[in-house]
Amino acid sequence: MNKKFFSSPIILILPSLLAIGFVIIIPLIFSFYTSFTSYKLTRPDSLYNFIGLRNYERLIDNTKFWYAFGRTILFLAIVLNLELLFGLGIALLINKITWGQRTLRTIMMFPMMFSPILVGFQWKYIFNDNIGVLNNFLYLFGYESAIPWLIDKYLAMGSIMVAEIWANTSIFAILLLAGLLGIPRDPIEAARVDGCNSWQVFKNITLPFLMPFIFIALTIRSLDVGRAYDIVHIMTGGGPAMRTELLWTMIARIGYKDANMGFANAMSYVSIILSIAFTYYFFTKLVAARRELGQQ
Amino acid sequence: MKLLKNIFVLISTFSLSFSAFAVDKSFPNDNVTMWGDFSGITLDVKLIGGAPYDPLYQVMIPIWEEKTGGKVQILSKKSHFELDKEIKQDIAAGNISYCVVSNHTSFATQYGDIYRDLNGIVPGNYLAEFVPLVLDHSTVDGRLVQLPQHSDVSNLWYIKSIYENEDNKKRFKAEYGYDLAPPETLEQWKEQAIFWSNPPNFFGTQYVGKEEAITGRFYELVIAEGGALFDEEWRPTFNDEAGQRALQWFVDLYEAKAVPAGVLNYLWDETGLGFASGTVALNLDWGGWGAYFNSADSKIGGDVGLVRFPMGSGGKRGGWSGSHTYSILNGCPDENLEAAASLIWILTNHEAQMHEARGGKLPTMTRVWDDIASEMDGEGNAFMSNLFSTFKASMAEDAFTPPLIPEWIPFSNIIFPELQAAIVGDKSVKEALDAAAKETDYLMQDAGYY
Repeated sequence: MNKKFFSSPIILILPSLLAIGFVIIIPLIFSFYTSFTSYKLTRPDSLYNFIGLRNYERLIDNTKFWYAFGRTILFLAIVLNLELLFGLGIALLINKITWGQRTLRTIMMFPMMFSPILVGFQWKYIFNDNIGVLNNFLYLFGYESAIPWLIDKYLAMGSIMVAEIWANTSIFAILLLAGLLGIPRDPIEAARVDGCNSWQVFKNITLPFLMPFIFIALTIRSLDVGRAYDIVHIMTGGGPAMRTELLWTMIARIGYKDANMGFANAMSYVSIILSIAFTYYFFTKLVAARRELGQQ
Repeated sequence: MKLLKNIFVLISTFSLSFSAFAVDKSFPNDNVTMWGDFSGITLDVKLIGGAPYDPLYQVMIPIWEEKTGGKVQILSKKSHFELDKEIKQDIAAGNISYCVVSNHTSFATQYGDIYRDLNGIVPGNYLAEFVPLVLDHSTVDGRLVQLPQHSDVSNLWYIKSIYENEDNKKRFKAEYGYDLAPPETLEQWKEQAIFWSNPPNFFGTQYVGKEEAITGRFYELVIAEGGALFDEEWRPTFNDEAGQRALQWFVDLYEAKAVPAGVLNYLWDETGLGFASGTVALNLDWGGWGAYFNSADSKIGGDVGLVRFPMGSGGKRGGWSGSHTYSILNGCPDENLEAAASLIWILTNHEAQMHEARGGKLPTMTRVWDDIASEMDGEGNAFMSNLFSTFKASMAEDAFTPPLIPEWIPFSNIIFPELQAAIVGDKSVKEALDAAAKETDYLMQDAGYY
């Protein structure tokens, strides 16, 4: 038994297992445990105050949490779909270019190079009702009323979506462009010879080939957007009146400002359901798309 | 919208106006000095940072290092809200072995017993120099856990010229039936703010609109209206009629467009810079902005007036107050304690407070109040003399701290979104306050108050 346990393969993967254990498994177990305690950051001894399912029971009754949960799903759905549409459009356009494509690809990636905090500050300034570039621009054209972009019930969330989409559409564009560059030319040329128009070629050949790339991009971005924090925190802090509160701005406030880490961790574990659901859905779709292409 | 250009100019001059200063390194006006030979000692510190705070460190810390031989290693320097989060994480991680940290009377109660009692570490004759009430506010569970650098309380700044304009006086009298003069009551403040407003280019007033800032503003209006946040058993009472009147004041101003539409995202910098840009008639703010408001860097320089916080219907003025302080952590090694106390001394002593007072910050030493007033009178600086006499009266007669309990910040995080919800019209005033009171009730029950 001991001999088998210390065999070469086990010894070789042991460093990886230890690293994963220390970096991922132990923190996960620890944070999961704290979700059953009344752990407050400022009272380290509260770590041992086991309260069973009380945090989770409270969560079920917490309407603010469920509103934030719903808002996050809405945010995810709109942002992912628009990023996909814009990213696909950009990728298709760049794929058509025969001169300067590399330069454009590099320029396209600029927004990804900014830290989310910087993006948040930049768009906060653009959307500021009083000194913001956008309202001053509108003022030049005679619109004299200051639009409260970051305050209004609908505009505030829309403004954050614009910032998020601006910063990350290029991820979709890059992944889809990679997919477009890998599509074999033969079926497309055969379709054209058979009289297909551009829309038919796109719908019946290009898009099915791109679907695995689309679902990979959707999976990656759904995990990212589901964790959206920096941009929202900087632009509105989840306010006003919780109009832009997403799961992670709420969890961060409860965990760090209120120091109520046990309850915040319970929220986090319920929130993970969202990420798992989206990932599972997109992976199911990815497998189906690959099967359709005969890649499985 | 012409504000855009103004704000650019103001932001750039704002940082210039808090520049380093010169001091007599012998500190001749300090009755108590706490020099020592601290060669070989390095003090790890975490400080509040930013334009209003950094010049003091830039001047005083090198002098301290030069004269004592000790070294100061700044581990962290950030806004107090960020520092607050960092300290909480440090406590959780058990990483509280540094020596000196910036603190605040409103925050200190949250952190449990991580601080040393300064009685016995700081000499009694030095402590005797401080205003006793401010030292009381710095005491938690009978332990002096912090030494105050400067205090804050707010009063009402206004643009003088618009109040002196004869045409404005006539129009106001015709509309409201009484003479135009800086407001003495909350009702007058509201009426005048509405009278002055011409959005989006000019606003009657403004308020800090989020986080603990709006909670504090609401708190002082509740007091001014004759109410209280809690009863004697710590049950929430802010949803009574006084609380509703207080919140209605914010709502009325917002609905009348007498404040900028984005006010709910404003904190102190936005309101201070906004007033200095000349686009706001009345601005409730601390004294620390005073010298800047009236300087050539400000669009209203030379045209700034100041009156006491107007009275509410309860016959009281607002007076939400607190002090920026320094603390020594329990984790600071015993052999470094004297050096840590010495460092706090140089950051809070007469020389440091006089410098800060020249910018308008409120001293915490009794003697500095007198000395700065004499200095300003001697220079014939009527503006600063008025600033100190006004704020001195506020500190003596109006100032009160928020409840000095660990639940103050969690309470604030419960109530401020509800205040905002009422202001933007998502809820009625009563609905918002009732919802906040219900959650606060749970908070206080959980904390074991009843």
